[in-house]
Amino acid sequence: MNSPFTQTLSALIRHRGVTGCMVVGESDGIIVDSSLQIGVNGSAVAALTASLYRKAQRASTAAGFGMTGFFELVAEGGRVCAAGRNEMVLVIVAGAKVNVGIIRMEMLKALESFP
Amino acid sequence: MVTDDIRALSEALAADPSSTVFLQLGEALRRQGQVELAYRVATRGLERHSQRFEVHDLVARIAVDRGDFARARTEWETVLLLAPGHSGAQKGLGFLCFQQGELAAASRYLGAALEASPGDQSLSAALDTVRAAIADEQRAPWERPTAALPATVGALESPARPFAAQPADARTLFAEVLGDAPQAALLIDADGYVMAGDYVTADGHDLGADLGAQLSGVSDEASRAMRHLGLGKWKQIVFESEAASVAMAPCGEGVLLVAAPRTVPLGFVRRLLERSLDRARRWLESGT
Repeated sequence: MNSPFTQTLSALIRHRGVTGCMVVGESDGIIVDSSLQIGVNGSAVAALTASLYRKAQRASTAAGFGMTGFFELVAEGGRVCAAGRNEMVLVIVAGAKVNVGIIRMEMLKALESFP
Repeated sequence: MVTDDIRALSEALAADPSSTVFLQLGEALRRQGQVELAYRVATRGLERHSQRFEVHDLVARIAVDRGDFARARTEWETVLLLAPGHSGAQKGLGFLCFQQGELAAASRYLGAALEASPGDQSLSAALDTVRAAIADEQRAPWERPTAALPATVGALESPARPFAAQPADARTLFAEVLGDAPQAALLIDADGYVMAGDYVTADGHDLGADLGAQLSGVSDEASRAMRHLGLGKWKQIVFESEAASVAMAPCGEGVLLVAAPRTVPLGFVRRLLERSLDRARRWLESGT
């Protein structure tokens, strides 16, 4: 069954180095729709990234920087990117070598189509 | 500490208001950036447990996050009365005295704290800075390093600034990396205290302590996420908000963060972070 996000996620997962992408509820960290390669623990990524994004959101607001847009966490074994709109967060899991500039642009563009 | 944990702690406290679970709850709320709520929880706990030094220590740390340095000082002094030699209180008082220009007292407190925790890099770096400041004070004005002058002049021009800037290089540590652009870098220790750098607003307020307290919690959350996701240690966090781009990375036992206006390209902010990291590591390792 297709959701309003299926097309967006299908386009994002095709980028080199991207191993998973999903739309997650910002407040509960539950997956709304996803496209994942085998081996990616979608539920854990969704819950933890939503939590991290919320934390950054709160800290940023409290520090007077306003709401968070694009968020990226770089780790030894890969990276997680997130961008939110309307209580939903678009999350991407990727390898360390991915072209994050393109991913960021695609994510911000994709957010505009979020209902 | 996650929201679920906070909820569980709140429920435990509600079930037994006389318990000391408020200590964990207050700390969790503080780390999550809910400073006012943490303050209410801690001061309410203080009413019931005024003889426990841990409670005074918690109130002091929250008071620092709120910018209430007088209260923080009173509370840490109480901690030392109740638990002589408490290294956390000595460390906190050392930083407060340093920021308020009481260099001899700062050196005494930080020295005592370092004796109790000899492996604490942030303490040895802070003590080096204080000693350098004392040495500077003892020199004639024309012999003092000129690098500290811009911060001192800025402080004199801005009466709203909470402390007079010290003739040491901790606040101006990143000046060379950042240049004159409206960018800021802060080195924050594991407890959320600013070790070096500053974040001065256009009206002259130094919001470094606020910013450090708010954003250091993000790194705790990142470490927790990394443990579960199996992606290894986190190396960098970058996020864009309405007003600023922020980049942060682990540094020593704490975190380094760089903030720049949104007009600054994100790639440049990351480059600033890397250069600031090099600077901070050099300072932590050699004190120069």
